[in-house]
Amino acid sequence: MVTVNGEPLADAAGQNLLTFLQQRQTPVDNVVVELNGTIIHRPEYEQTLIQPNDKLELISFVGGGR
Amino acid sequence: MQPTIQGMSIDSVYQGMKDRNVADSTDRLTAAHVTIAGAGGLGSNIAIALARIGVGHLTLIDFDQVELSNLNRQQFKLSQVGMDKVTALKQNLQEFNPFVTINALVKEVTHDNVAELFSDADIICEAFDNPGAKAMLLDSASEFFPDKPMVMATGMAGTHSSNTITTKQVRPNLYITGDGTTTGAEGLMAPRVMIAAGHEANMITRLILGETNI
Repeated sequence: MVTVNGEPLADAAGQNLLTFLQQRQTPVDNVVVELNGTIIHRPEYEQTLIQPNDKLELISFVGGGR
Repeated sequence: MQPTIQGMSIDSVYQGMKDRNVADSTDRLTAAHVTIAGAGGLGSNIAIALARIGVGHLTLIDFDQVELSNLNRQQFKLSQVGMDKVTALKQNLQEFNPFVTINALVKEVTHDNVAELFSDADIICEAFDNPGAKAMLLDSASEFFPDKPMVMATGMAGTHSSNTITTKQVRPNLYITGDGTTTGAEGLMAPRVMIAAGHEANMITRLILGETNI
């Protein structure tokens, strides 16, 4: 089962990362993706297919600070 | 005649300013180089904290100028409105602690210059306002400097409870402070921004002194 930030999400398997991220609420630009412990860089999103047992951690940012 | 600061010998000023620092911290603090990306509410407060305790080398990066609307939370003076933020901040830091080497860069951080801008940093401090810039810096830094410790912040707006701001260790070398949710749209004010800045500054201090736990 694919997990996203610790929650099971069966539907995610088979999608590429870009498509998966675009369906989520947080803008793609505000997120960094960790896949099975490794950060996936942006140019790699489209060619990275989510596998059935992947663990995804989405590190999201909100504005304010500078 | 010996050179003096405020009528006191340089050595006595240097020693006196470290008198209340934590024991045995001086050498490591003096040797450390922290690069702070963003010189606003987070960055100006973090830089002041690190300069006061004697972190030896600070690089400040920001492309922005001081505006009136910054003054409710950022460590600038009314007389500095219109100045480049990093220039104004360097001026203020030098008044607090003249023994710190400060490199002030008026620059926008992009994926293309991260490798150059952060190569000499022991610790990367993210202090941007823009969430896209925060994510870009993490993405780029993890590409060019996968082992370099990085301290970031997300969510410090409004007047919510102080105690919702925490520091989390997200990866072995990645620490993120903040409440994770509140955005600048609801207003940003010194007290709560300074809490997040304090979290970042203390985590950086702990890392410099060899403590990697949150």
